[in-house]
Amino acid sequence: MPSEAIDPATVQWQHVSPKYLRLRLLSWGLETVITLLVTGLPLVLRLTGIWPGYPAWLAWGLPIFFAATLLWRGLLLPRQVRAIGYAERNEDLLLRRGIFFQRTLVVPYGRMQYVDVAVGPLERAFGLCTLKLHTAAPGTNAGLAGLPSAEGARLREHLSARGEAQLAGL
Amino acid sequence: MSAGATRGPGEEPEAAGPDPAVGTEPEWKRVHPVSPLVRGWIALAALAYFVGRDQVESGFAGGGMDLPAGSALFWTLLALGVALVVIAGAFFLSWWFTRYQLTHDHIRVHSGVVVRRQRQARLDRVQAIDIVQPLLARIFGLAELRFEVADAGESAVRLAFLRLRDAQQLRAQILEDASGAEETHPDGDGDAGDATVPGEQQVLALSAGRVIASVLLSGTTVLLVLAVAGVIALTALTGEAASIAAMVPIIFGFGSAYWNLFSSGFNFRASVSREGIRLRSGLLDTRASTVPPGRIQALAVRQPPLWRIPGWYSISVNVAGYGAGTDGASTARTRLLPAGTSEEVLRMLALVLPDPGTGDPVEVFAAGISGTGPAAGFTVSPRRARWLSPLSRRRNGYLVTETALLSRHGFLWRSLQVVPHSRTQSLALEQGPVARRLRLADLVLHSTPGPVSPRVVEIDADTARQLLHEQALRARTARRRDLPEQWLRGSGPSLAKSPPAGTAPVPPSPTPVAPPSTPVSPPPTPVSPPSAPVAPPPVSKEEPPHEHR
Repeated sequence: MPSEAIDPATVQWQHVSPKYLRLRLLSWGLETVITLLVTGLPLVLRLTGIWPGYPAWLAWGLPIFFAATLLWRGLLLPRQVRAIGYAERNEDLLLRRGIFFQRTLVVPYGRMQYVDVAVGPLERAFGLCTLKLHTAAPGTNAGLAGLPSAEGARLREHLSARGEAQLAGL
Repeated sequence: MSAGATRGPGEEPEAAGPDPAVGTEPEWKRVHPVSPLVRGWIALAALAYFVGRDQVESGFAGGGMDLPAGSALFWTLLALGVALVVIAGAFFLSWWFTRYQLTHDHIRVHSGVVVRRQRQARLDRVQAIDIVQPLLARIFGLAELRFEVADAGESAVRLAFLRLRDAQQLRAQILEDASGAEETHPDGDGDAGDATVPGEQQVLALSAGRVIASVLLSGTTVLLVLAVAGVIALTALTGEAASIAAMVPIIFGFGSAYWNLFSSGFNFRASVSREGIRLRSGLLDTRASTVPPGRIQALAVRQPPLWRIPGWYSISVNVAGYGAGTDGASTARTRLLPAGTSEEVLRMLALVLPDPGTGDPVEVFAAGISGTGPAAGFTVSPRRARWLSPLSRRRNGYLVTETALLSRHGFLWRSLQVVPHSRTQSLALEQGPVARRLRLADLVLHSTPGPVSPRVVEIDADTARQLLHEQALRARTARRRDLPEQWLRGSGPSLAKSPPAGTAPVPPSPTPVAPPSTPVSPPPTPVSPPSAPVAPPPVSKEEPPHEHR
């Protein structure tokens, strides 16, 4: 990944598992199918003559609008997943995300209150997990999805140990 | 235990000092026996309402108050009696099963009748202590004590209700133990028989006129004018008077907003002791909050547009235990100053930021609260940011001192945010698509929940990246030499190294706020060096009230 303007210089970003892209594409696909089925239903009804009173612009416009946004989001997905990065430094953890709205976050180990690892059913099927760091500030909002399970567990232990060693109060 | 348990005989020796015999378990005490009544008066009021309404309605129907006769009367009275007994029993049980204990390190509360709850909080984790008196409790001379820790939600320990004197004594004792002070009240003045406010010194008191004027000129008025203008425009456009009806909820909404601002800011007084800063305010419900030194996570000095006429500012703070509630009570207790002149703002800042980490704090903070451009060393947004913020470009900026980051923004609604380096939780750079085109970025500092969300807006992207790096470093260094949680134990180098008080950190004296033994001189704070014209000694025009609550 090319280093973006707001990324600190000389940081080697770690990337999330490539399987995470497949997971995101799968859930994106499910979402697309369901949305198109729901929004396309009136169009089918109208074309088959069951519901002739339904306005044509709405019947065509709605599914086309949703298809376009979903297609756009689907096209962005690979780049979005590639834009997720993390780096463990001596004193803090760096997290980055986003293509259009980018964010680079610095969480000092000493400020971490606790670390969560969550695994959903789809994630379990892919062998992935989601790591979440909590500080005393709700704005920290530091989630890291798409880690391989082993890496998530290692990171959790590592972060907890680091946090304990450097723990500061509030 | 008898009804007088709240002031049991064991209290006096215990309150006398933190050195009771180690082996003896401190006594368990109960809250005041009237307290369930004060808390549960709503149930009684509801009962009275239902019974009374029946009586009145039948009275209107029959032309007179004909009481039910014979057996009907008997059953009514029986039902009423049973209800009263049940309520009284519930009150008694809830009182009986609520007990608290204060040891040297912990406060413990046991409560609940069916579901028992035992809660214990470490004293040195205290973030703030409030003594709150709702109107009814005030009538009974009772008060509620709230012990806040950093869980951002409800109070860790709520003792409702104690006698006001007992609550004050408990607070003094908790703060004494939490501070890790080696001895009790070294100055020893005024705590004989009055253990409430030894060495407390009033810094600021706002007159009722100031509070009323500040409410009338507040941002609420700007919104009200906009709302009325909107309704009038709508009426003119549609030609219907129906939208006038929309005024009714608007008036009610704004009326209650005005009332909240007024009643919570009424009689505002700030004072300082070695226990920290104590703020008192309230018209009907009163509160006294005590925030120990170093518990303020971030603060913001704000000025809505109309306050420019009298030149007033308000200060809000993030305190970890207070959370981010938006109702009247929550905003009241996060307000360090409801409406003050710039001189009063500097005086309050001197209390919460004893070491501003700059040579000329007066100039720096004056530039922060009302200045524009690069004066006093502020780094402002580059010229290309005018596409995003045409008005506030020269106001948006930041300044780093040795101890804090100052971020100012807003052209009409001015605001200055201050985050001590040692209180920075985490940091982030954010950049949207337009900002990236203009090579700008925002630096977000994450703070505990509260009214202040510190953010440095629209600075040059390279500067921002550099700032992120430096700020992470500064926060790390500041954390290392941070004030210990027990603020009187050992030395707090970051706060004790201020030039005027730059003596060797003598254990009992590195208190960052005004030493209680100096009644006239200002706090030894660089924001208000004794010679500075803006920060005269804390004025206490009237006799500091004898610990009003």
